Amino acid sequence: MAEIKYSISDLIDDPSKKIKVVTLDGQLDESNVDNFAPKIYEMISSMDKGTSVIFDLQNLSYLNSKSIGYIADFYNQVTAKGGKIVITKAASNIKDILNVVGIDQMIPLTQTMQEAKLMA
Amino acid sequence: MEKIVGTLQKDNNPVEIKIELPTNAYFMSGIRDFTLSLIENMTDFSSQWAYRFQSVVDELANNAIEHGSKANDKILVTFYTVADKEIRITVEDHGNPQKPTTAAEIMKILETNKNKEKKEFSIRGRGLAFIVEKWTDELIVEDRPNGGLKFTVVKHLNDDSFKTLEQSDDPKNIVI
Repeated sequence: MAEIKYSISDLIDDPSKKIKVVTLDGQLDESNVDNFAPKIYEMISSMDKGTSVIFDLQNLSYLNSKSIGYIADFYNQVTAKGGKIVITKAASNIKDILNVVGIDQMIPLTQTMQEAKLMA
Repeated sequence: MEKIVGTLQKDNNPVEIKIELPTNAYFMSGIRDFTLSLIENMTDFSSQWAYRFQSVVDELANNAIEHGSKANDKILVTFYTVADKEIRITVEDHGNPQKPTTAAEIMKILETNKNKEKKEFSIRGRGLAFIVEKWTDELIVEDRPNGGLKFTVVKHLNDDSFKTLEQSDDPKNIVI
């Protein structure tokens, strides 16, 4: 079974922005994504308006199409509350799959956390 | 201490491997690992294509489990590779009597999803329409004689897309 570890933290180095950072480690697939997604929906529903979310995917080695579907839905919910979503530090195979489904047309992908903070 | 690792002599003879899987997503990470290893070690495809076919197999197998199988059933995944020529993968399910699906219905859904705007999708629908369809040269869906569907995907190593790799931004052609 694929394992996914996640952590959620508040980015506090820029007081002008409210930003949550979701860090993922492992693989997101059919066996675990339906258990992971509610944690993020819960986070989004409890966020203040205008809060943005950065997904740090540096240690994510796989994600399937359903996981991408959830990310697109997170995007809809976060933008509805006036925030933004940015994906950062994704490995080449992860960027490849995000590109082929067209998520990069909705959500910016950055190489570094610094760039992600500027986009968020 | 001396370490000895088994090696595989790659040649251009066809290799066929069949794997029967229980219809449980628990086993998907294993079939993904196998797909990656098979393509990297037994074909001339790049690592990027090994990762892409890992996703293709995962999407097809998940589709077969979710839409083409009843509980406690099995699906059959067949890999057919010719090192310097192609990889061909079939995924077969037995169908779900509660919600039978035909090949024609799948192709109709696929065509509809291909033409949707990106923002129109729900959680589902991107796997076959984008990942499988865009990363293969052939996608054939057939009704099996005794129920269920058979998906066949083929990627040719020497097709025209590989000849223009560095001049295109098309995600089908990019090499890392």
